[in-house]
Amino acid sequence: MSDAVVLTLREQPKHALIADVIAPDRFASLDATEIAALPVVHGGRAAKLGDFFKVKGARATTLRIEGDLANVEGIGTGMAGGEIFVAGSAGRDLGVQMAGGRIDVSGDAGDNTGGARPGASRGMTGGEIVIRGNAGDELGARMRRGLIVVIGDAGRGTGRGVIAGTVVVFGKAGPGAGRFLKRGSIVALGAIERPATFRYVCTYLPSYVPVLLRYLRARYDLAIPDGPITGRYQRYAGDMAELGRGEILQWVRGEA
Amino acid sequence: MKINGVTIEDTFAEAFTMRVARIVITGRTAQWAREAAVKLTGFATSVIGCKCEAGIERPLVAAETPDGRPGVSVLFLTMDKASLPEQLIVRLGQTVLTCPTTACFDGLPEVPDRLAVGKALRVFGDGFQSSKVIGGKRYWRLPVMEGEFLVEETFGMLKGVGGGNFLILAADSDAALAAAEAAVAAMTDLPGVILPFPGGVVRSGSKVGSKRYKNMVATTNDPFDPTLRAVTESRIPEGVNSVLEIVLDGTDAPSIDTAMRAGIRAACRPGVKAITAANFGGKLGPHHFHLRKIMA
Repeated sequence: MSDAVVLTLREQPKHALIADVIAPDRFASLDATEIAALPVVHGGRAAKLGDFFKVKGARATTLRIEGDLANVEGIGTGMAGGEIFVAGSAGRDLGVQMAGGRIDVSGDAGDNTGGARPGASRGMTGGEIVIRGNAGDELGARMRRGLIVVIGDAGRGTGRGVIAGTVVVFGKAGPGAGRFLKRGSIVALGAIERPATFRYVCTYLPSYVPVLLRYLRARYDLAIPDGPITGRYQRYAGDMAELGRGEILQWVRGEA
Repeated sequence: MKINGVTIEDTFAEAFTMRVARIVITGRTAQWAREAAVKLTGFATSVIGCKCEAGIERPLVAAETPDGRPGVSVLFLTMDKASLPEQLIVRLGQTVLTCPTTACFDGLPEVPDRLAVGKALRVFGDGFQSSKVIGGKRYWRLPVMEGEFLVEETFGMLKGVGGGNFLILAADSDAALAAAEAAVAAMTDLPGVILPFPGGVVRSGSKVGSKRYKNMVATTNDPFDPTLRAVTESRIPEGVNSVLEIVLDGTDAPSIDTAMRAGIRAACRPGVKAITAANFGGKLGPHHFHLRKIMA
């Protein structure tokens, strides 16, 4: 057993590499050889994880991944515990249907981060994903529980169809954010393009936001200024085309 | 043993095991947090009549609280497991929930024994409430006219200590009061301890039961009442004309120990003749605080 399993990308995949076997709770009972033998799909063809990654360490619930993984899809799929640290960017379907644990990405993340598998009714059901760069489209789509934080910008359809849970975007959130939101929250510290089916309800101090942002500051060492912690937010209820029990909280910049 | 000429009697305070919760109340300002804490801990001097004992442990600076606002830490005690959540639900619902700007957090997050207090309070939201899980803890957001009240779903419960005490035997009431005030000042804000009585001081110490009235659970502590010296088995030494008691509750015995040491030392001042303590012969309470051992 080691402190962490380290995967180092040694060969940039020429095509999309579907590596949904990469999850720390799966690695917890495997040695390096067994991890390297796990199946992946490269350009539609079967391959092994070891064909693309050098594996160091064994039987650990902490996983560090090094290299530009923008072409590597499905990291952390369905994980229920443990931690993944990605030193670089991650491809689409990061943390799809994850149920617990933490994913911390130093770069960008692709589309459908924290979302659902095709045809599935639910996205992630627990855990935390922090993306220190930008996120692609449909961030947190259909998530049922959990927390996703993007320090940069998020693409189109952020929080689309969220059932419950929280998405925090520090940068800009693209068009269609929160569409079909049932419950759950999108906390927007930057600009956000709301659908017309959200209704403004009030400007106030949401009680949990300071707790959440202070937690993120302490847990992930994020440089969050005091403004969003002590400031007021405009609350938009929606999606009124759905239950209308969700919310977009838009920070009122320049107040506090 | 004497400290500053004050006799420390060779006796002990007898205290009981109680259940304790630590409540962290925050507010827009320290004043609003304190307003809620004062109401929450009102009429909570003794389990004999109030069903609970509570007091402000210490003020909290913004950096110490979960939401980064100024706050107050409150200790809340009852005699048994069942009555602690009952009392907390009723009192938090009528005091902290009603107080502008406040939020309410658990001050014993590491404790495994959990009370579903926030979970019970959530129904005030009439179905409009919602929850958030942050760092593995669930918080309930209750919509209120002002905006939103935030309360943690569960609160930790510990086995604490209730009924630590010492008595200040003084030449006159002014000296007794001055000594009691000095003792309270020395013990205020010490971690893990509260003084549940008004200003931290009790003038009406009690004995168990009654000599005359069957239904009374507690009646005046006649051995220490100076006016009854001639008609009862008095335990008041010559020259003593007024007695005040300090009662302490806490999260654990060492915290009571530390506070008693600070309080007794501060109470040993001019006009005070002796410091003693109330006990029941050691048969009722498992915690014994021997004055001379504490002050050695």
